[in-house]
Amino acid sequence: MSKISRRTLLRGAVRGAAVSVALPLLNCFLNDGGKAFAATGQRIPLRFGTWVWGCGFIPEKWIPATTGSAYVMPEHLVPLEPYRDQLALFSGFDVKLDGVPNKPHITGCFGLRTGIPVPDTNVKAPTLDVLVSDAIGRDTRFRSLEISTSGIQRSYSYRTAGSPNPSEISPLALYQRIFGEGFQDPNSMAFKPDPHYMVHHSVLSAVADDRQRLMKIVGAEDRQRLDEYFTSVRQLEQQLALQLEPPAPVENFVMPGAPPEVTLDSEMENVMTTHRLMAGLLARALQCNQTRVFNVLFSDTTSNLRRSGTTTTHHTLTHEEPVDPQLGYQREVGWFAQRSMVAWREFLDELAAIPEGDGTLLDNCVVLAHSDCSIAKAHAVEGIPAMVAGGGDRIRTGFHMAGKGDPVSRLGLTLQQGMGIQVERWGTLSMDTNRTITELLA
Amino acid sequence: MPINFTVSGTRSRERLRSRRQQTPCPGNRDGYHHALLRWVALLSLGASGGLHADDSFVRDGEAGFVLSHIEYALSQDAQETGACPEGMSSSVSEIFSRTPAGRRRNGESDADYAQRLGKGGKALATGPGGEDLCQHPEAGKPDPYFHTVEQANIPAFGIDIDGVASSTGAAPAPNTCPHDDLIGMNGEPGIDNQFFRVVGCNRSFQSTGQSNTFATEMLTGSWGILLTLAGVDDIYNDDSIEVGFYSNADPIKLSPTRVPLAYATYLSDPDPRFRATAHGRITNGVLTTDPTDVRFHYTVNSMLLERPLRRARLQATLSNDGEIEGYLAGYAPLEELYDLKFGFRNGKTSAGELAPLHLRSLSSNGAAFVLGHTCTGAYHALYAHADGDPDPQTGKCTSISMQYRVRAIPAFVVDSEANAAQAKVTVVSE
Amino acid sequence: MKAWEKATAPGTSWRCRVGRFLAFTGICLFFAQAAGCGDGRPHESIVEPQPVGGPLLVRRLTESQYRATVADIFGPDIPVAARFERGIRAEGLQAIGTSESGMSPFGVEQYDAAAQSIADAVLSEGRRDQYMPCIPAAGVAFDAQCAALFFDRYGPRLLRRPMLTGEVDRYVNLAEQGNARLGSFYEGLKFALIGLMVSPEFLLRIENAAPTSENGGPRQLDAYSMATRLSYFLTNSTPDQALLEAAIAGDLATQEGLARQVDRLIASPGFEKAVRAFFEDMLEFELFDDLAKDPLIYPAFNSDVAADAREQMLLTISDHLIKQDGDYRDLFTTRNTYLTRDLGIVYRLPVATRKGWEPAVFPEGGGRQGIHTDIGFLALHSHPGRSSPTLRGKAVREVFLCQEVPDPPANVNFSVVQDPSSTNMPTARDRLDAHRTEPSCAGCHKIMDPLGLTLENFDGLGAYRTRENGAVIDASGSLDGTEFDTPQGLAQALHDHPETPRCLVEKMYRFAVGRDTVWDERAYMDYLIETFRTNGYRVPALMRTIALSKNFFVISAEGTPRDEFTSTGLQAQEGGRS
Repeated sequence: MSKISRRTLLRGAVRGAAVSVALPLLNCFLNDGGKAFAATGQRIPLRFGTWVWGCGFIPEKWIPATTGSAYVMPEHLVPLEPYRDQLALFSGFDVKLDGVPNKPHITGCFGLRTGIPVPDTNVKAPTLDVLVSDAIGRDTRFRSLEISTSGIQRSYSYRTAGSPNPSEISPLALYQRIFGEGFQDPNSMAFKPDPHYMVHHSVLSAVADDRQRLMKIVGAEDRQRLDEYFTSVRQLEQQLALQLEPPAPVENFVMPGAPPEVTLDSEMENVMTTHRLMAGLLARALQCNQTRVFNVLFSDTTSNLRRSGTTTTHHTLTHEEPVDPQLGYQREVGWFAQRSMVAWREFLDELAAIPEGDGTLLDNCVVLAHSDCSIAKAHAVEGIPAMVAGGGDRIRTGFHMAGKGDPVSRLGLTLQQGMGIQVERWGTLSMDTNRTITELLA
Repeated sequence: MPINFTVSGTRSRERLRSRRQQTPCPGNRDGYHHALLRWVALLSLGASGGLHADDSFVRDGEAGFVLSHIEYALSQDAQETGACPEGMSSSVSEIFSRTPAGRRRNGESDADYAQRLGKGGKALATGPGGEDLCQHPEAGKPDPYFHTVEQANIPAFGIDIDGVASSTGAAPAPNTCPHDDLIGMNGEPGIDNQFFRVVGCNRSFQSTGQSNTFATEMLTGSWGILLTLAGVDDIYNDDSIEVGFYSNADPIKLSPTRVPLAYATYLSDPDPRFRATAHGRITNGVLTTDPTDVRFHYTVNSMLLERPLRRARLQATLSNDGEIEGYLAGYAPLEELYDLKFGFRNGKTSAGELAPLHLRSLSSNGAAFVLGHTCTGAYHALYAHADGDPDPQTGKCTSISMQYRVRAIPAFVVDSEANAAQAKVTVVSE
Repeated sequence: MKAWEKATAPGTSWRCRVGRFLAFTGICLFFAQAAGCGDGRPHESIVEPQPVGGPLLVRRLTESQYRATVADIFGPDIPVAARFERGIRAEGLQAIGTSESGMSPFGVEQYDAAAQSIADAVLSEGRRDQYMPCIPAAGVAFDAQCAALFFDRYGPRLLRRPMLTGEVDRYVNLAEQGNARLGSFYEGLKFALIGLMVSPEFLLRIENAAPTSENGGPRQLDAYSMATRLSYFLTNSTPDQALLEAAIAGDLATQEGLARQVDRLIASPGFEKAVRAFFEDMLEFELFDDLAKDPLIYPAFNSDVAADAREQMLLTISDHLIKQDGDYRDLFTTRNTYLTRDLGIVYRLPVATRKGWEPAVFPEGGGRQGIHTDIGFLALHSHPGRSSPTLRGKAVREVFLCQEVPDPPANVNFSVVQDPSSTNMPTARDRLDAHRTEPSCAGCHKIMDPLGLTLENFDGLGAYRTRENGAVIDASGSLDGTEFDTPQGLAQALHDHPETPRCLVEKMYRFAVGRDTVWDERAYMDYLIETFRTNGYRVPALMRTIALSKNFFVISAEGTPRDEFTSTGLQAQEGGRS
């Protein structure tokens, strides 16, 4: 059966005129092989995301005793047992400081995400997600979506120093941003390109006409900032351009309802609720191609999570709670570390709940979960825990790998390669690597 | 929801106790010294306003409070005490259902039967002249299905108001009618709480009922009650203080979890009918006042009502962090009490006019139906148990002993926005 | 650019920055003697040194500037429906971040949304009459003349300069295209206005140099960039019509003309907004957006209290500095404040006014003295469930004294610190003693904690307390050699600290120019500080001094790389009509 693009059916639609074509979700659009093909006749895209939790882990509760695929799930990872085959665990991979001062909870996080440790938030290279979004995020409505679920407006997604991609912190705001004005239900049978978008689009193009004149009159540093501004304007133009084309239908897509108002703070149960709601919305947004790249900040790297009614936060506990002599680790800190893994499981649940092709949305996502340090009380950036979930047909999972002190940039390099970016080396100085983690590539 | 009081002590008392233990001065004796020290410290600051410390709820001898909880002083449920051997009172429809005409007919649907019960009940709630008996309860006969607490030794919350324990056979106190006192929750004799006898067999006044949860409405801000103390030299022992009782003109301030907040400022109702003062004293941390007539606001179904209490007195503990807990006890005039609790005959609109008859009538009949009593039953039972203010002509009592359990927390009470602003400036400037 | 401070002690570690004030105290003392100590009047011998200036900057409008600008141009009732990106803080100020921050796709998306809501409102049927300079002619396809009049009126206001040749035509063309597609004059105009409001020259303050002066003196900003700097510094908003006209007329080139405008702006209602904008920046008030407290531990906290706590400090500051024309240093000792009923609950003070604010005075001896004892400061620099002497000490040093406290070392063994609920260590002082005796922590904690511990009588929300976990709190402490045992002692120490006014001057100037100061400007900074001192530490006078100084407008030698461009390129389209 030859592939039929639904877009071809719609091509020729007169701009501004209503196009009302009944488009049943024909089975013939399903590719014979099934895998990774949706009813649209288009290949299901591979998405990329990061999921960050703060303040590391309790090594003895997290690192499996053996490597390979037959490892026993350690206590804190038990909730993830159902995803064993879709999960790769990485222990013992280091951020190499090369003498760069370790800014607690910052240097490790950015070292892992940019391949270059920095003593503050002034990143020296784009974060991994931005590199990936440059490659795969261009023709979606949002180049990427950032969410933070513990009530804190923070993000570790940076193109350049000084301009983080800010996070949504409220489920309702996230909902409105994705499914509010400008959202086109991909399965809506009637499509009428709104001429307002056309006018809006041409106005933004005209704004870009100033580029030449202005670039000439500002200094080199400001030229870079202006360039970023114009890049952002172009991104907005592209968003508008997409509004002029009928959206590709999406199997099984159901428009989500508006989420309820929730308490946005750092109390653990509230955060879990916020996180579930936002993860669900994000999954729907991925399903209907609003974006292909996302960054979830479950808890900030200086985790402000806390138990209701207690005076201390996860982060302060890591520094103040004495090690329980029986357990050999900090009991309360362990609780937060364990709950964070439950949240990670719940995130995967949301992705896995959406059927796509002959699998689920999770099968078509590559999600890098990581923290900012290994043992938070010492701010150690050696052995920062990381996981890769999902995979598509490019990434292989289902194992535990011990890094034995290798630079964690190997992981960033391999993920870029897995996402189809032509890159051979990544990172600087001791983090500079060309050693692909071949186990991770399918 | 009413706070879950227990017989031997309250949860909140236990809380207070544990809080006191944190200070080095737990006992009364030591507490006295503690207080003295504090007052010495306060006085040394002169008139400038005093310490701004954790427990300085008294400033310049003055303190304000807002009621954080109020409920009728009743008892444990009748099921536990056996106070109602004849069972609970009934609504007009329930009464009608026991008559031959009120029995369910063969094949009658639920809806039809309910409609017929409603009609039959309404007939019972209508007087011989076609009048609504909730609005004219005096036109109806006493209701044999309205049960009351009649035994002598039933325990109830409250204090001895009239100073006479009926069990001793002593002559009734002046200005009262003969009545059987209840016994206190710890067995003490002489508790005057005839209102409890009237409502004690109503199911809505049991712990699962709806009639004693009116404090939740206070937390919505529709009405509130303020107290003030003046002339306080020592919060544990002071033989002369002035106590003020006011209606709150502002809604109560609550935490996000709906707990009243201490140290909020409230304006007292300027209407003199809702302001009262009494002389009082503190003895070993127990605050008592002389009797005074008080009156507070109340609302039902958006109708404004009044809550009067004659010869009311406060008897309550005053903790060192400014919490008041105890009884407000006195005599409620019968006709006004009937209006407050059952008939709403004098319900007013927010514009101050008499509420429409249908609103008053529907509210009172609806309440009787839902809460499980009859208006005539309540009205006549109130008269039957009246124990205060005998009519000089007939000798029949016109009011009934009634008590509230109250808790209050520190607050700033101001008389008016302008006056208080000036007062405040003099307090805080030097 | 090389930071002024960084150069002061070459070879010494950043960690020693706290000691920096000692070096400056020397300079300060020298000047104090030379100028004849504090007679309260500007001294004739104080003259501005040779200007050094800085580079031409590209500064992004802050959210408050954007909103004020829209309100000033179109009216305060025009909705700005957008969620702005949070400003970036650089060198302690968001104002400096405006010269460094980029613009993410999200940011542009939000500017676009704001522009839509503004254009929708301005050209709505009900409102357009008050903005339109003309009624579009009926019966023609598109009244280009009327559209041109609209952009003649609003173009210069939004771009803060006269329109360039052909620029109005460009927007008229856009409007015409829109009209053609949408069949509505106003719809077309609306999208052209959106284009104007998303343009980089509206969102960014792109500074330009004046033509090289003929006498070979230092180059300075052109008149429109001067007007823009002045206006955003002194009113936190866009140049008004009078200022733009003064710029066109060349008035700003003369000291008298400049003074006339500066004095007019300082007397305008916008001045208070500027002072507030500065203190919001200095006090790091964006932290209020993240402020959360545990409702069980601090039941009196809610979002209204947070908003009031913020406003309380700003009211106190603007009343003291502007209305009372008070000494800046007295902000640390004043007991004058403003309260709402919600705040009264936390402060345990009566507030008779039922809605809104009333002036109040904190009781003497009650521990509240100075804005650093306002709950807005105390709660902001605490944890959600408890106070933090460390965070507070750090904030006092960084915010008020411009002393940078280094980050904690990364691999500290914190196991010496015991459980916070332990009965052995009931108070924060007990717990922090462990930090201060552990050698790797002591260096920093000795800087922060003795200061923060004097504020321990205020809990994590800022409510007064005398005990923690049942134990009496010892609020003794010290600040750079001054010892005290009450918050009042700290208040006086902050008032008397030589770094207090110096830090204010430093931050104010950096706020004004949107960049860090450079080493070569030290003489100018000393000039400002000395003038500040002789003026009795009056902040409006300081702002006036800055606005009138040459250094404020001069472009440094290395800061003029854009010699290709001068304002000669700015040819007013129709003879300066704007």
